[in-house]
Amino acid sequence: MMDRHSLETTLVVLVGLAITTLLASRHLTAGPATSAAVLGIAVLKGRRILLDFLGLRTAPALWRGLVTAWVTGVASLAWAASAARLLI
Amino acid sequence: MVAAETPEQPMSAQDFETQESGWGILAELPGDPMMWVLIFSELAVFGLLLGAFAVARTVNPSVFASGQGLLDPGLAAINTLVLLTSGWAAARGALAARERRRPACRRWLALAIALGALFVAIKLLEYVGEIGTGADLERSTFFTLYFLLTGFHLLHVMLGMVILAVVLRGAAPAAVETGTSFWHMVDLVWVVMFPIIYLVR
Repeated sequence: MMDRHSLETTLVVLVGLAITTLLASRHLTAGPATSAAVLGIAVLKGRRILLDFLGLRTAPALWRGLVTAWVTGVASLAWAASAARLLI
Repeated sequence: MVAAETPEQPMSAQDFETQESGWGILAELPGDPMMWVLIFSELAVFGLLLGAFAVARTVNPSVFASGQGLLDPGLAAINTLVLLTSGWAAARGALAARERRRPACRRWLALAIALGALFVAIKLLEYVGEIGTGADLERSTFFTLYFLLTGFHLLHVMLGMVILAVVLRGAAPAAVETGTSFWHMVDLVWVVMFPIIYLVR
């Protein structure tokens, strides 16, 4: 079970990652690498939310893996669709 | 001589629940298993919508680029911070409920709801700005999917606020854990949706 200090740490990490996302999208040249960075940060944020806020850290690995797979799968599909434009 | 068979006493619903929940591995998730059935269903729907958005972007890159250019990523980024902070407040509420600190639980959940209301207000402000530039459901594939995705998510934020308000009254640990699980799902979906719609070029 998360204690209040761990929840505070999670919030600070999430806010830091959200700000990093915005800065990366504004200051890096648009392209597959920037998209991968922005979506990779979204996966990290999603993972912190599902482990620490949603409480899946102590749940069976199956559920943790399933929700992590959803976050990673959606982000990967979005990146692949964005990068595929370069091949068309 | 055959011994008389004693009729088996029917088990009460409470006894049955204590002995066997019937939810199997779902019972090991935080909150009510029925809420998790809803959460997994919602994740599947949002996954399909986001997948459709990604595929449509590949088919119509110029339409999506021009549509994305009319959005305000700054407001959406502020909304991300609002929703993350709201998720933290909800998690603090669930912790207070487990520690049997009901007044503190109610305060944290009220903060989570207030931040949810702020998210709704900012999103509506964003819609007003976009509609002011001529954007609507029929303008392009981008805006059809944009309004569908963000509007569907906005409805979930409002439903989540209602659920949090309901569990806030009793501040019972199991109910609060169930209600906040839905709220964190809404948070999780936004965290993935935000870069896909606003930032990925």
